[in-house]
Amino acid sequence: MKQMKEKKPFDKTIFDGMFMKNTVLASGLVIAPVVMSATTLANGIAIAVVFSCITFFTIMISSFVPRDMVYAVRIILYTFIASLVYVPVTVIFGPVFETEFNSIGIMIPLLITNSLIVIRSELHFFRLERLRMIAEVIFYIIGFDIVVILVGFIREIFAYGSIGDKIIGIPLTFPALSTTFGGFMLLAVLSAVLKKIKIIVRSNSK
Amino acid sequence: MSFITRVIMLSFAAILIENIVFTYAIGTSTMFLAARSKKQFVSFGLCITYFSVVSSMLAYFANKYLRDYDSVYLITPIIYVLIVGAVYTLTLLVLWKLANKAFMALKKYIHVSAFNCAVLGSVFINVERGGTLIDFAAYGLGTGIGFLLATYLMSIVYEKLYSEDIPESLRGMPATLLYIGILSMAFYGLVGHQTIL
Repeated sequence: MKQMKEKKPFDKTIFDGMFMKNTVLASGLVIAPVVMSATTLANGIAIAVVFSCITFFTIMISSFVPRDMVYAVRIILYTFIASLVYVPVTVIFGPVFETEFNSIGIMIPLLITNSLIVIRSELHFFRLERLRMIAEVIFYIIGFDIVVILVGFIREIFAYGSIGDKIIGIPLTFPALSTTFGGFMLLAVLSAVLKKIKIIVRSNSK
Repeated sequence: MSFITRVIMLSFAAILIENIVFTYAIGTSTMFLAARSKKQFVSFGLCITYFSVVSSMLAYFANKYLRDYDSVYLITPIIYVLIVGAVYTLTLLVLWKLANKAFMALKKYIHVSAFNCAVLGSVFINVERGGTLIDFAAYGLGTGIGFLLATYLMSIVYEKLYSEDIPESLRGMPATLLYIGILSMAFYGLVGHQTIL
């Protein structure tokens, strides 16, 4: 099994992590920050940066936790490590994204129990050879970042008719797109688009 | 307002008006996991209810000491993770010693029902709302039952969302997200709408 995973071509690793098995759109993981907080481009970027740092460093440090330790203890350690990583990340990026952190609120600390750390690390990442694991973690994170930034961008344009401080002269806005249900529905549309692309790619390769 | 009325009102608010999944989208991926099994989703939801009630109550005491410190937001996640971790460990030990059958049944998913955004989210929302110990417990209870309700609503259509009756591009995750979006809109309509976050 391990050998099979090592033989997986590198371009497939990139493609799977970013698109085919995208954390949000294909696997349905880490949905809350995207739906609740990615309502503007700036919020999307702030979530992407914090998520990337917390997830990457937590998984990297957690990978050194001995596998023969009882799982009940390992899972506590993973989330505890994430909560420790959260401290420097917030200290560094808090002043950079001050407004965004205030608007995102509890979604930032909740990133410490995201599914990539709690579920996917144990079931997938830690079973891989180290270099492959680092590559996969990076591309799964990039996959999430693309979605959260894209959702923030789309919602800011169509819900508020602006991007950053600039008002875009679009004739019609959809304020409901910034709500929770608007976020779910936008994700559903993006997920369907991704699935359609997957179907086309699959039929072309056949 | 009498004690019982207050508990019922707060729990009711957490179940319907501020449903953890449909209003805050917190714990959505855990709900997907729980809804896959029609047999297990009740015990899964009850585990989450238990963890959110007990962790919220312990967070109430921790918050009493923490709230006066500057930069407390940096260490609260560590404290809350330790609280959930302590509840989880004690629960496992008690189950293992006293109810081995229940321990074996819950072993597969009890870690996911303890360490997820729904449990930690209920603690954070409770602290944000403030209130008495009973308020914390009632809101934690409502959060757990709200999660159970969301899981039930998901589990009854789970197979249909993945069936061949749905066009291939929409089958699975897109249909699931659309379904949650529609339910979320219905819950949104109940309030009208203003939440605390």
